[in-house]
Amino acid sequence: MDARLRRVNKEIADCKNDKSSKIQLDLVDESPFHLKGSFPGPEGTPYEGGRFEVDIRIPDSYPFQPLKMKFITKVYHPNVSSASGAICLDILKDQWSPVLTLKSTLISLQSLLCSPEPDDPQDAEVAKHYMTSRSSFEETARYWTHIYAGGPDPKAKDGGSGGGSRDEVAMAGLEKAHVDQFEALGFERGKVIDVLRRLNYRGANVTKITEDRVVEELLKP
Amino acid sequence: MSDDYSDDEYYYDEDEDMMDADDGDSAPSDEEMDMEVFDNDFKLPGKARKKSYEVDSEPLSQAQVERLMQTDIEHISGIFGVDENVASLLLRHMSWNKERLIEKYMDHATAVSVEAGITPKEEKPAKAAASSRAGSSSTGPQRSTRSSKSSNKLKSPSPAPKEDEPYTCPICFDDTQTRTMALACGHAFCSSCWNAYVTGKIREEGEHWIRCMAEGCGLVCPDPFVREALGEDKATWNRFRELLVRHFVGCNKNLKFCPYPNCTYTVACPAAASKSALLSIVPTVTCGASPDHKFCFGCSIETDHRPVICAIAAMWLQKCHDDSETANWIKSNTKECTKCQSTIEKNGGCNHMTCKKCKHEFCWVCMGPWSEHGTAWYSCNRYDEKASQEARDAQSKSRASLERYLHYYNRWANHEQSAKLSMDLYKKTEQKMEEMQISSDLTWIEVQFMKKAVDEVFKCRMTLKWTYAMAYYLDRGNPKELFEDNQRDLEKAVEDLSELLEQPIEPEVVPSLRQKVTDKTVYVQKRNEIMLEDTANGFLEGRWQWNTSVPGLE
Ligand SMILES: [Zn+2]
Ligand SMILES: [Zn+2]
Ligand SMILES: [Zn+2]
Ligand SMILES: [Zn+2]
Ligand SMILES: [Zn+2]
Ligand SMILES: [Zn+2]
Repeated sequence: MDARLRRVNKEIADCKNDKSSKIQLDLVDESPFHLKGSFPGPEGTPYEGGRFEVDIRIPDSYPFQPLKMKFITKVYHPNVSSASGAICLDILKDQWSPVLTLKSTLISLQSLLCSPEPDDPQDAEVAKHYMTSRSSFEETARYWTHIYAGGPDPKAKDGGSGGGSRDEVAMAGLEKAHVDQFEALGFERGKVIDVLRRLNYRGANVTKITEDRVVEELLKP
Repeated sequence: MSDDYSDDEYYYDEDEDMMDADDGDSAPSDEEMDMEVFDNDFKLPGKARKKSYEVDSEPLSQAQVERLMQTDIEHISGIFGVDENVASLLLRHMSWNKERLIEKYMDHATAVSVEAGITPKEEKPAKAAASSRAGSSSTGPQRSTRSSKSSNKLKSPSPAPKEDEPYTCPICFDDTQTRTMALACGHAFCSSCWNAYVTGKIREEGEHWIRCMAEGCGLVCPDPFVREALGEDKATWNRFRELLVRHFVGCNKNLKFCPYPNCTYTVACPAAASKSALLSIVPTVTCGASPDHKFCFGCSIETDHRPVICAIAAMWLQKCHDDSETANWIKSNTKECTKCQSTIEKNGGCNHMTCKKCKHEFCWVCMGPWSEHGTAWYSCNRYDEKASQEARDAQSKSRASLERYLHYYNRWANHEQSAKLSMDLYKKTEQKMEEMQISSDLTWIEVQFMKKAVDEVFKCRMTLKWTYAMAYYLDRGNPKELFEDNQRDLEKAVEDLSELLEQPIEPEVVPSLRQKVTDKTVYVQKRNEIMLEDTANGFLEGRWQWNTSVPGLE
């Protein structure tokens, strides 16, 4: 049998038999080389309570070349692209070793959620958010976990202040007052949130970004 | 390789130079080092005195470079009392900087050995366990701390199997494998996994620094281990050796690997090893495997961009790239006759055009009547600054500067195109000459004059091409005028010769044509030498003044 296939089959079987790790592997189509992995968000983090799905492609030269992985579930994390799910992790690149497995790599992803590395970011905006205001970052990450990963509703704890549109604002890590301010100028709320998020309009940055600059961005098609 | 210089002096001078770059301490500057290289080394034996546009260089085969590497390895092996394979890894780790290696190794032999992948890191199991606990802020400065978080390994690396218990390779899960291999760390894997891994590293990733397969293990495969892992695969082993040579060459400013595909030669050119040297010389070198393997030691812009220095060639190409859209139409292969407007296609290298329809003779480059070109005041090469002044008055300034640029670009591109066309034309001529050789009593030697002439035309058009890039940046004044005089003389001579080459050839005219072509070829050759020599001297003397700031020349 093909060495790669033998190894992948064994890995999948091992993972099925191991009930303790809560790591799950599923086939996406007929190919044993395209899988979906999932794991629970680590406890004591904003990702707690969510379940995160990862798209896994096993290259021809596996295990001598690293697995290709990206998040299917949207994750708010400095080392994960908030748009594409691409992951910045050393073992998926130059630090790969052929003894690493599907399971151990997914566990590494799980621990990446515990300890972001904002100095080596995949998503610069999220990393900036993480650096400028940790509590605001965590709030957003928690909202994303709730909305996208099926985590608990943070509002239940907070007492649900603000209503529906506050979720959107908080998810972007912004202040409601700022969004209101530009919405009052006649811009669509969704666009305001989008632009302010891109400009990293939060914390100390607010004083550095002029109103004109924001309006200029808002006017772009 | 010549014995006239000692290997040591010749290419280790840069050790200090590299140390300078790494440490920023008070090692000699670039310039001082260069002078030393110039003074001490590289007296090529038995070669004619070089021209000022030529640069001393020496081609080295892969075996010759390997011998240089071996000398280093033996030296280090002797000093440290270590195995040659260990010395090789140490040198590779230190980018072949012997001085720096010796200095570091004397102080911290163990640390250097660990970094170089020779000795395993000291096991600290307690700490490793701690770092795998998630949630703690990242403590270690190295990225590898991240990978060490993945605590759940497939199987802890096992030592080589004992005779009686069945061995299952932790990578391929194959329990039928009987041979295992391990580095000094003891991380054993089956030999077919090692083979796949090492082959992939070399073939796919072009890597010569191949770490142990165990996660987080920093040990590096020494050459004999690589060889063993590859088994009978000679081709991959040879590729590995080439990668080692390339790494060595890449670490040495005096050496450059030949850029031609599949070539394994190296060129040594200490005279062009520093950035400052490249401001006054154009190091066009040949690798030694083939006379066609010509390349610039200083840049990868073009194989031979003499007479302009790398920095100006780069500036010019960047400009052409930026302005390519506006200039695109000029490159087109067709133009209209200035008199009758019928379309004329350029099919030879000669710029003297005659309209098939109305017989109007004109210059392809400036579209002016040819009658003005055949005379002493051939002025197609010189951008008329007065006319441009008028244009400036009439049109906007940007229009004038575009026109100025187009003047030079037009001629630059035209020489390139003409050079190619003259090669095409020659292929047709060559065929005809071969036929004549059979039909008439001309000998093979007698018909070779065409080949020589075409080669010369090609060479000179390349020179001319780059002189236009140079003239674009030359500041107005006496030196530029003299430069353009030389340029004009060369251009005129080349156009005359080109025209001769386009004449219909019949056996009866061959003897007289041969005389004419040969004379012209000699003349063109002389003009080219003058152009190259004078420009090169100008760079050495610092004679050229520029109308813009040239990187490095401020
Ligand atoms: Zn194996
Ligand atoms: Zn090892
Ligand atoms: Zn070559
Ligand atoms: Zn160059
Ligand atoms: Zn005409
Ligand atoms: Zn002309």
